[in-house]
Amino acid sequence: MSAARIRAAFADAGVTGRLHAVDLADPTRQVAVGADEPVVLASVFKLPLLVALYRSGIDLTRRVTLDPGDRSTGPTGIGGLLDPVTMSLRDLAFLAITVSDNAAADALVDVVGLDEVNRVLRDLGLKKTSIVHRARDFMRSLAEDAAPAELPAALTDPVVLSRLRALDPARTNRSTAREMTTLLAHVFAEETHEPIRRAMGLQVWPHRLASGFPFDDVRVAGKTGTLPTVRNEVGVVSYPDGGRYAVAVFTRSASTAFTLPAADAVIGTAARLAVEHLR
Amino acid sequence: MSKSNIARTTICEPLSSLLVDLLRHLRYFLVVAEELHFGRAAVRLHMSQPPLSQSIQRLERELGVRLFDRDARRVALTDAGRQLLPEARDVLAGEDRLRGLAERFRRGEAGALRAGVPPDLGGRAVAALLPAFRRRSPVELKLREIGTAEQLRALADRTLDVGVLRLPFDVSWLSLGEVLTSPLGVLLRPDHPLAAAPDVRLADLNGLGLVLFPRAAAPALHDEVLTTCARHGYTPAEVHQAGTAEFALGLVLAGGAVALHDGVSPPADVVWRPLRGTSLLWRTAPAWPRGRRTPAVTAFADAVAEVLVAQGMRPAEGTLPRYPRPAAEYLS
Repeated sequence: MSAARIRAAFADAGVTGRLHAVDLADPTRQVAVGADEPVVLASVFKLPLLVALYRSGIDLTRRVTLDPGDRSTGPTGIGGLLDPVTMSLRDLAFLAITVSDNAAADALVDVVGLDEVNRVLRDLGLKKTSIVHRARDFMRSLAEDAAPAELPAALTDPVVLSRLRALDPARTNRSTAREMTTLLAHVFAEETHEPIRRAMGLQVWPHRLASGFPFDDVRVAGKTGTLPTVRNEVGVVSYPDGGRYAVAVFTRSASTAFTLPAADAVIGTAARLAVEHLR
Repeated sequence: MSKSNIARTTICEPLSSLLVDLLRHLRYFLVVAEELHFGRAAVRLHMSQPPLSQSIQRLERELGVRLFDRDARRVALTDAGRQLLPEARDVLAGEDRLRGLAERFRRGEAGALRAGVPPDLGGRAVAALLPAFRRRSPVELKLREIGTAEQLRALADRTLDVGVLRLPFDVSWLSLGEVLTSPLGVLLRPDHPLAAAPDVRLADLNGLGLVLFPRAAAPALHDEVLTTCARHGYTPAEVHQAGTAEFALGLVLAGGAVALHDGVSPPADVVWRPLRGTSLLWRTAPAWPRGRRTPAVTAFADAVAEVLVAQGMRPAEGTLPRYPRPAAEYLS
C-alpha cells in the first residue's frame, strides 16, 4: 500500500523514483520501490568516498594545498573559490558532505584512490555499487557527450541527455537504493564514522529529504546528488523516541528544468510516506 | 550403445534435445527413404555411412518399429516405414513453418505492433497514421489513445511497444524518434476583445482562466505549461482540467477562459490566435524502451514523423534552449 502511494507521489511530481527505507532497529522492516534498479549516484558518491577515507588509517589531520589551477571546480565550497586553500583531510571531508564541495571530494579521491573505495564497497557486501570516476571526470564527460551541441543549452535537450554517460548507471558512479541504505546502516553503526554522521547532519540543503520532515524535533542527516534530471538524497531520519530510519531516494525528472521545486520536495514526501509506514 | 549412453538418453537428456534429435533422425529417414541406399543418402547428407545407419537404428528403437528391410543387395521401406513417411514429412514441414514464423517475428514482419497516441493528436492525424504505417510495414497496427503518463506505464510493463508522447518525460530508459514541435496559440470566444488582434501575448491573458488537459495525464507537462505562462506574466485566474476537446471548447464558449491549441483545424465556433514571444509549444516524439527497436517500431516512428510534419509540426532544432542553467550549478 505504501509502495503504491509512493509511486503515485513520484508520478504526481513528474519524476521516476526509486526508494528504499529501512528501520535501523529492525532491518527486516523495509519499504522498497524499485530498490534494486541501478541508479546514478551523482554527488552521493561522496558518501562511500568518506567511508573509505575513514577506514583507510590515513592521518586525517594531514594538510594539503588545493591550487585553483588543478583542483576541481563546482558551485560550492573550495570548488567555487578563487585562491589556493590549505586544509586538513578531515576538513576537506566535512566540506565534501556539508556543501558537496567537488574540489574537496576529488582531492580526497586522489588521496584514497578509486580502487580502495571500491575495495571497501566489496568488503561491505555492496556488489552493485561502483565508483568509476571523480566529480571532475563526469563533469568533463557531460561536455564531451553533448558535442556537437553546446553546454549549457544542450542540457535542456532530452535527446542529448539520453546520450550522456554521466546519466547512464552502466557508465558512471552507480548503486541501488537498497545498497545505499546498507551503507547508511554501516555509517550509523560504526563508531569511527561519527564525523561522517556529524557532517551529514549539518548538510545545508533543506529542500529534499528534510522537507518531508518539517518537525523541529526530527533530525535528518543526508547527502544529496544532482545532475541534469537527476535528484537524489540518502540519509537517516532520527525521531526523539530513538527511532532511526535509513532512506535512499533516487529520482529522474521528466522536465529538464534546473529549478523544479516539486521534484525536490517529492524526495521528502516519499521518504515520509516510507518512514510513516515503518513507525 | 554403451551403458553410459543409455543412461544419458533416458535420464539426463533434456526434452528439447530429444525433440531436436527426433527432427534430425526424421530428416535422415526421409533422405534414406528417397534414396533407398545408405551410401547415396550419406553423401547427400554430407556425412559418413555408419552414423547415418546408427541414426536410423535409433529412430527405429525410439518408434518401436522397423522402418527399412535391409539385406546385402537392397534397402526397402517396411509397411510401417511407408505409412510413417508422410507423417514424417508433415512433422518436418511443421518445423519449417514454425521456424519461418519465428524468423518473421524476429525481423519484425509478423504479429502486431501495439502503439499509443495522445488523445489530442486529432482524428485527421490518426486517419493518416494508419496508411502511412501500412506502406512501411506488413505487421498489424493496434492503436490506443492514451495520455503520456499512462503510455509510460504501459511501455514500462510491456503492454505497449511504442508510444507517441508529449515531452517532457523521463527519457532515461527510453529511445526517442524525431522530436517535433508545434507552437501553441489560444482559442478565444469570437467576441473577446483579444480576438480582434492578429496575435496575443501571454501577459494579455491575465484575469482569464486557462483550460488545460487533466494534470494526471502528464503532470510534468502540465506544470511546465503553467511555469512558462508565469514566466511570461500570465498566472491563470483558474486552471480548468478538461479531458476532451469538446469540454475544453465548452469552457471557452462559456466565457472567462482560454484553451491552448496548436492551430491545426481549430473548432469553428471560436477563433484561434497565435501566442507572440513565448516558447509555449508541444514537443512530441515517438518513444520505445531502449534496446527494443524493431523494424515495425522504426516504421511507426517514421510514419508518425511524416504525418506530424504534414500537419505543420517542425523538427525541434532551434526551439531549444528554454532557460538553460550553467552546468557548473549541478552536482550538489
